[in-house]
Amino acid sequence: MVHRPMRRAFLLLVAALLVPSFSAFAQTPTTLTDTLGRNIAIPAKVERVLSLQPEITRLVVALGAADRLVGIDFFLRNHDDLFKVVFPGQAKLPLVSMANYNVNLEVLAGLAPDVIFGAPEDRNVIEAIETKTRIPVVALSSMGRFARLLEELRLVGRILGREERARELASGFEARLSGIRSRLEGLPHSSRPKVFLSFWNVLTNTPVFYEPVNAAGGANAAEGLLSSYAGTLNAVVPLEKVLVWAPDIILLHGNYPPPRRELTVASVLADRRIASLEAVRRRRVYYTFGFWNWWDFAEVQVETAYLAKIFHPDRFADLDLTALGNSVFREVYGIENGYSTLCRILRCEEWVHGR
Amino acid sequence: MSLRVRDLVFRYRAFELRVARLAFEKARLSAIVGPNGAGKTTLLKCLAGLLPVLSGTIDLDGRDMASLTEPERARRLAFVPQEHGASFNYSVLDFVLMGRTARLPLFAVPSAEDVRVAEEALAFVGFAAFASRPHFELSSGERRMVLIARALAQQTDLLVLDEPTTFLDPKHEAEVMDLARKLAAERQKTVLMTLHNLDMAVRYADVLVFMKNGGVVAQGRPGEILTEELLTGVYDLPMKLLRLEGRTFVLK
Amino acid sequence: MAAKPRRALFVFLLVLPLLVFVASLYVGTSSISPAVLAKTLLSPFVPSWKAEIPQAIFDIVFAIRLPRLLLALAVGAALAVSGASLQSLFKNPLVNEYILGISSGAAFGASLSFVVFGSRIPPQILAFAFAVLAVVLVLLISRRSDSPVVSVLLTGVIVSAFFSALLSLVEYFASPYSLQALFFWLMGNLWKAGWADLAVSLPVIGAGLAVLLLMRWRFNVLSLSDEEARSLGVRLRREKFIVLATATLITAAATSVAGIIGWIGLIVPHLVRMIGGVDNRRVLPLSAALGATVLLIADDIARSLAAFEVPVGIFTSLIGIPLFIILLRRAGKVWR
Repeated sequence: MVHRPMRRAFLLLVAALLVPSFSAFAQTPTTLTDTLGRNIAIPAKVERVLSLQPEITRLVVALGAADRLVGIDFFLRNHDDLFKVVFPGQAKLPLVSMANYNVNLEVLAGLAPDVIFGAPEDRNVIEAIETKTRIPVVALSSMGRFARLLEELRLVGRILGREERARELASGFEARLSGIRSRLEGLPHSSRPKVFLSFWNVLTNTPVFYEPVNAAGGANAAEGLLSSYAGTLNAVVPLEKVLVWAPDIILLHGNYPPPRRELTVASVLADRRIASLEAVRRRRVYYTFGFWNWWDFAEVQVETAYLAKIFHPDRFADLDLTALGNSVFREVYGIENGYSTLCRILRCEEWVHGR
Repeated sequence: MSLRVRDLVFRYRAFELRVARLAFEKARLSAIVGPNGAGKTTLLKCLAGLLPVLSGTIDLDGRDMASLTEPERARRLAFVPQEHGASFNYSVLDFVLMGRTARLPLFAVPSAEDVRVAEEALAFVGFAAFASRPHFELSSGERRMVLIARALAQQTDLLVLDEPTTFLDPKHEAEVMDLARKLAAERQKTVLMTLHNLDMAVRYADVLVFMKNGGVVAQGRPGEILTEELLTGVYDLPMKLLRLEGRTFVLK
Repeated sequence: MAAKPRRALFVFLLVLPLLVFVASLYVGTSSISPAVLAKTLLSPFVPSWKAEIPQAIFDIVFAIRLPRLLLALAVGAALAVSGASLQSLFKNPLVNEYILGISSGAAFGASLSFVVFGSRIPPQILAFAFAVLAVVLVLLISRRSDSPVVSVLLTGVIVSAFFSALLSLVEYFASPYSLQALFFWLMGNLWKAGWADLAVSLPVIGAGLAVLLLMRWRFNVLSLSDEEARSLGVRLRREKFIVLATATLITAAATSVAGIIGWIGLIVPHLVRMIGGVDNRRVLPLSAALGATVLLIADDIARSLAAFEVPVGIFTSLIGIPLFIILLRRAGKVWR
């Protein structure tokens, strides 16, 4: 149904508010607590894995356990061109879900996975799977926060018995972040540009928390909204609110395939209603990668660096984004020119240059 | 306004109506009578242009009815149904005002003159006091009078009424028939109605038309055509005529 | 019945949308004082003032608030008058403006537009086209039956269901990229439309409203049975067609640009009948006025209630449904 993103986001953040950390009680690989606060028993040996949550699927591949995947969800199969490059084998995997997030329970059961990773916002799907098939389902999502992403990584690593690899990836991630952080040393709060994120193809639909912005030395204009109401990940704000916020920079959701983008830099710059904004007048409207409520572990690291270059060009002038990006993808997925490929798909060579 | 019928044929399912010749003249009250199923109401509706005839002509003062548009017809002929079909609770005056439709173009609203005509029509039937009452509240007899008032507001020369006396008590029956007579005699209208009440027909009508099995059996002045043989033949029931105090009564 | 106070009430109701319109200019997230607001509104005529007003304020008033309010006026009036007209035509005050399949057709058209054409064409073109197509289908299919009124309504229900099913099909196969935009469109919103969109839809709505308002007395007669209407001199096929076509056009125009906003066409005419009686000479203009007012107020609430934007369709439903239940009990006084 069409209300998916809203409902999903709502459930997600309610859960997020209730359970700040989901690995608190997980000591052995056999029982853990997921994002929804459910205690789940996992078999000690996990050979067959099914992930309905793209963020987790990508982590499974990054952890080097792609061969254990027994099926693939509709999003990664049909709508993610990058993943096809990261894991070409996905084309051979059986499709287990449809565009409306429905899963084919028979196919699922027939594949006999040892564990299923689900999205916390699809609670009814999770419950249906558990009652009908009795396969343990672990609901995980990072919700725009690095700490949760890293915890997820460690948890999945533990489940798959790939803790070593998980530690490798995590330290790589943290190293890059601290690299950026160190360059931002001494940055006064007032120098943080106020950023308004326009995601999901709608000008006024904004994620109230998106850590790459913060980590790159910016400030999310919508962050104050979190406390005003009982949580959604994203909020649709009145257009006037954007004018009141008067952001310095506007970031658009670049992860949409270019032909599908309704919201483009050109359309935003031409929008009469926000023409008075500093960001529009100074043409500080850029694409960023963004997420579809699910991150790509490698992509988000590059995104943070990319944003840092935009927010503080003076401090990151010597940062070679392409080199950094390709090295991240090599480290995470073992593929060459991963970042260049991504840029080709999203036409992001048009973003950074030619402004 | 005269109404002339020639070689009329109407068919609906198994029922067929055939009328060779029929004429209704100005300043006359004509009553169509006959047993149930004879086709009285069908004929009336054909004459009012509400049912499509298969063949034959109906002339209104020389103009073929089929060639008239609805507004043109409604300016010449007013039809009073047995029961109205209004779904909303209009006031009596608003209801009567609807009679002005044929004289108003599509995008026009009734003028003060139209309202005056409607009020006059209402007064003629003696219902001026009812003007602002919501018409759902009226009894069926009162509603009947309001329907007649609406027809009068159309300001036509021809008035066609479908069983105007059904469900009325004797007093109201007489009122309606008096009114019809008045319209014919004083206002020179051509008044045409179907009646099941033979006594009323005999008493008030200038012209009687007897129907049976989809055809006209006899037509003419009561004094001329009314015979016991005719009645018995039409109604399949032994009938007797009784003349008392200068009036004729029908006994079954 | 006291005529004078009644008249005053009617005049007030007719003027109300303008009053609410002016007041609504003041409502919004950015606070603009009445003095500044007045200056801004007059600034196109007074060049010296134009220089004083900051660009942001000017844009807020003329590019954000004004189009939105005008759209609310037009859509509210269109939906209410369309509902009132169809209620008379179908002799049933429980009929609403979407009964001939317009909303389902429009939703399907929009979904097709988002999925097939993405951002290349605005959704209102296909939304409008399919809304009209739905009604045409209803009329063509129901022509074959004997009982005109009942079959049109029934066919409307069927055609609506058909397009809803098609919509579900499109949703099922659509990519998540298109679904987002579709989802927002379906909820109904008044903020997306800009002057370019209004330049097309406002004249269409205006012209249609003019036609229906001019016919207001005629609706009294049209609400009689077909036979009676014809005997009174109504050219039934022609007049019914005019009403249906015009009501369809303005509803489709309103829906295609603002999405699906429910309950106005049903509730407002009913409220108006309760206040002013069933004479359509009053019902139609008052419905236009009250419909515009209701939508303006609902939109004011929707955009000032919280920090985020609530789709206005939610409010018209939240208010409309309980009101409908209350009105249902009093329906017998007005209709049989």
